[in-house]
Amino acid sequence: MIQNLRHMDKTILLCLLGLMTLGLLVLYAAVYHGDIRIFEKQVVFWLLGMSLFLAICFIPLRTLGLLAWPVYIIALLGLALVPLIGDVHMGAKRWLDLGVVAFQPSEMMKWALMLILAHWFASREPNTLIHFFVPLTITILPAALIIIQPDLGTTLVLLFAALGMLMVSGFAWRWILIALAASPIVLYGLWQNMHDYQKGRVLSFLNPELDPLGKGYHVIQSSIAIGSGGFWGKGFLQGTQGRLHFLPEQHTDFIFAILAEEGGLLAVSILLILYAILISRMLTIASHAHSRFAALLVTGITSIFILYAFINIGMVSGILPVVGVPLPFISYGGSALLTMLAALAIVMRVAIESKNQIPWQRPSSPLS
Amino acid sequence: MLNQRDVRLRFERRMWLFQAAVFVLLAILLFRMVNLQWLQHEGFMLQAEKNRINIVPILPTRGAISDRNGKGLAVNVVSYRLTLIPERVQEMKQTLAQLNALMQWTPHQFKRIAKRIKHARRDRPVLLADKLTWQQVAPLSARLHRFPGLNVQAGTHRFYPYKELTSHLIGYLSLARSGDLKAGYLHSEYVGRSGLERTMETRLHGTLGSQQEEVDARGRRIAVMKQDPPKMGEDIRLSINVDVQQAAAKAMTGRTGAVVVMDVHTGEVISLLSLPGIDTNQFTLGLEQQQWQAWLEDERRPLLNRTTQAAYPPGSTWKMVSGFAGLRHHIPLATGSTFCPGYVELADRRLRCWKRTGHKRVNLHQAIMHSCDVYFYELGDKLGMESLSEEGHLWGFGEATGIPLPPESRGHLASGLQTLHNGRKHNWYRGITMITAIGQGQTTVTPIQMARFAAAIANGGDILKPHLEADQPPEIIRHVDLKSDYLKRIQEAMFAVANKPGGTAYSRLRHAAWHIAGKTGTAQVIAMAQDDDKKKKSKIPELDRHKDHAWFMGYAPYENPKIAFAIFVEHGGHGGSAAGPVAAAIVNTMAEQEEASP
Repeated sequence: MIQNLRHMDKTILLCLLGLMTLGLLVLYAAVYHGDIRIFEKQVVFWLLGMSLFLAICFIPLRTLGLLAWPVYIIALLGLALVPLIGDVHMGAKRWLDLGVVAFQPSEMMKWALMLILAHWFASREPNTLIHFFVPLTITILPAALIIIQPDLGTTLVLLFAALGMLMVSGFAWRWILIALAASPIVLYGLWQNMHDYQKGRVLSFLNPELDPLGKGYHVIQSSIAIGSGGFWGKGFLQGTQGRLHFLPEQHTDFIFAILAEEGGLLAVSILLILYAILISRMLTIASHAHSRFAALLVTGITSIFILYAFINIGMVSGILPVVGVPLPFISYGGSALLTMLAALAIVMRVAIESKNQIPWQRPSSPLS
Repeated sequence: MLNQRDVRLRFERRMWLFQAAVFVLLAILLFRMVNLQWLQHEGFMLQAEKNRINIVPILPTRGAISDRNGKGLAVNVVSYRLTLIPERVQEMKQTLAQLNALMQWTPHQFKRIAKRIKHARRDRPVLLADKLTWQQVAPLSARLHRFPGLNVQAGTHRFYPYKELTSHLIGYLSLARSGDLKAGYLHSEYVGRSGLERTMETRLHGTLGSQQEEVDARGRRIAVMKQDPPKMGEDIRLSINVDVQQAAAKAMTGRTGAVVVMDVHTGEVISLLSLPGIDTNQFTLGLEQQQWQAWLEDERRPLLNRTTQAAYPPGSTWKMVSGFAGLRHHIPLATGSTFCPGYVELADRRLRCWKRTGHKRVNLHQAIMHSCDVYFYELGDKLGMESLSEEGHLWGFGEATGIPLPPESRGHLASGLQTLHNGRKHNWYRGITMITAIGQGQTTVTPIQMARFAAAIANGGDILKPHLEADQPPEIIRHVDLKSDYLKRIQEAMFAVANKPGGTAYSRLRHAAWHIAGKTGTAQVIAMAQDDDKKKKSKIPELDRHKDHAWFMGYAPYENPKIAFAIFVEHGGHGGSAAGPVAAAIVNTMAEQEEASP
């Protein structure tokens, strides 16, 4: 028990602490003239999340491997149920009401997919047709169910994370190229299934100035917020864009704009550095993992983190369309925070288990 | 085939590539930020500080909902909100004390307001109070010049004049949540959460308008640049007649249950009442958690729409279904008669008729008129479960009616238990079939289905889709084919129920303004005490929740049907006495109105 705690990766813990501090500060700035309870709730979510994090650190990785199929199937069933009995939030069905809590199966599916893909790739030789198409089906099936909700952001994260795992799992490049070549078809199907408001967002991304007071408004305003922040920022609680309600969803998806406006390039750099350290540390853990399953799982989780961060910051700063994904550890939201902490705890578990062990099939190891 | 060493090497190469990709992505972001925050900083700073376009949304007025005669069921009333910009106030403490004296806030409210001001930005209006009446703000408006920074704004909020009476039908609104915001709602907007407010949300809501304003760095308006007026929400006139609904509610005073009244030709719903209701105005006025919890925990379940969302055993009102099935399948008993000694023997059990002394000799007409159970036990036994269930389905049971108030219960049709073969179970199965024929057992129906059934009997077999909006073309979902002579027989028996001495609703309905044809139903909540005389000796008083459910369904006028209705009284006791008077109240109100405006 205590051994586990002592073997925890200090770098990750420090990054997490940094992100938590930064996140709570920015959230406070985003909501303090509005509903301050949002901030208080997030503090509670962090407390809950850290307990969950600690608890998961004690779950052996083997157990996770066993859970791969059941978890995936439950998530898939949940997704399939959403169009039938899900809660509608004006045009988009994403939630299942379980009585006590509302539950978002797409949130679970992201991690379930990483688990199942890691599980699949870990025990199989790559570069055969069947071992290519099975993971492809495993990926496309939930992606299709999430598109029709419709939730563009999560679908993209799912597809790109799967692609990342495909790459790391050692498939020859020609297979990966096939998967890439298939993506225009997937994109077309995606476009056909999008809601008008989402199509509008993509179009406005392609040319925001066309309609500056309509759909492109979000991006222009967040760009102004970011750009006017300058190097040093306007100072804590001194931003004007958020205060004047120029910014949409400023405590969830667009929270980065508040950080950039009030903290400037300085705070942005701190955030990016924290992400960079966290992610490269996670990849180091993946490289030194004691099993192929662990290595792939950590890689998958890492891809989701980096995709979240990249898509979110990219959309807020106007280089990607507005698709609505949270900024890891910064955006307000209980279910996103809890799942991310849980995923990070799995990485931590891999680090703990791999401590003082030989990485899988390392040429220098006696195994090879 | 790669060896392990190659696999590892390839993995490490790919990991390296992955890491490189991650850093490329981060570099792209950093580059973008340097570009925005450093290179383009001046330009954005100018945009942010000097010359900004603030888009102020203009909310559309939500469409009103009225009944068929134009009486408002959901209306918008003018109300006022009080805001204060802290930085314009010099002596905050003193100002607040003066305001407190004028507005007479409770200490709790005052505390909250003070706290809100403390945490607010100093240059933005802080909401002190909303949904104020003119009386409340009048003393303030006169003294507004003494309070710099204070502002009284006029707006509207939703009001439901009939409160509990229409709560399930109309539903309620609440402030937009995060999901709504993604769909384009604003923080300060209200969204329909239940009833028609929810079903007709898109039509009622209208389209947001906006005003582009030039503002300075402090958010003060310099000029209005352009206005894009909102598109007002659509006003909707319902087919509901709120006077009828009110009369029904009055007759149901103190009861729990449901009343559905329907036009027999168009399927227009004239009354849709579920009791108890809730005062939906409390939602738009800011619902207290305590109140919500109280509604949730209330044993009478006021949040449940009993007309469409709840299904109950139909009791004796089901006997028409059994009767139709008997006639359709040419069961001799349906055109003949049987002797009712007060019970039927089945193996070692006795199924009782409600009348212990028995009805003596009865035919179909008398069996419906007196609601004889034994006759229908025997008819059901000859028909079998499948025929009963099929007949129920024909008349629209076991399926949603399609009334635009989701989620709707479909109810349940008892169906055959073919897997049971051995003798003893067979008797058990027969018993189940027999009680199904009198509307006990597994079958459950919703009051809206029951009203539609009554309408179909009245109009010659057309199963209609219930409409809630006025002037919609009738939609016939299905026509039930049945010899008109057979239909006539059932109609005549239903007429006798209310108009011939000995009919189960005769005493309550014979003086109604129109001739009513109907059927009483008394659905047992706990299992029928068969031969169990021991139970009688129990000293435990009969609890209300074990009392039978009361039904009355039918149509009027008998000669020229206009309306059909279903009345359900939860734990109301006997159908004729509990639900019958409600039918009389409905019919009398309808007749009165018709006389007043020919």
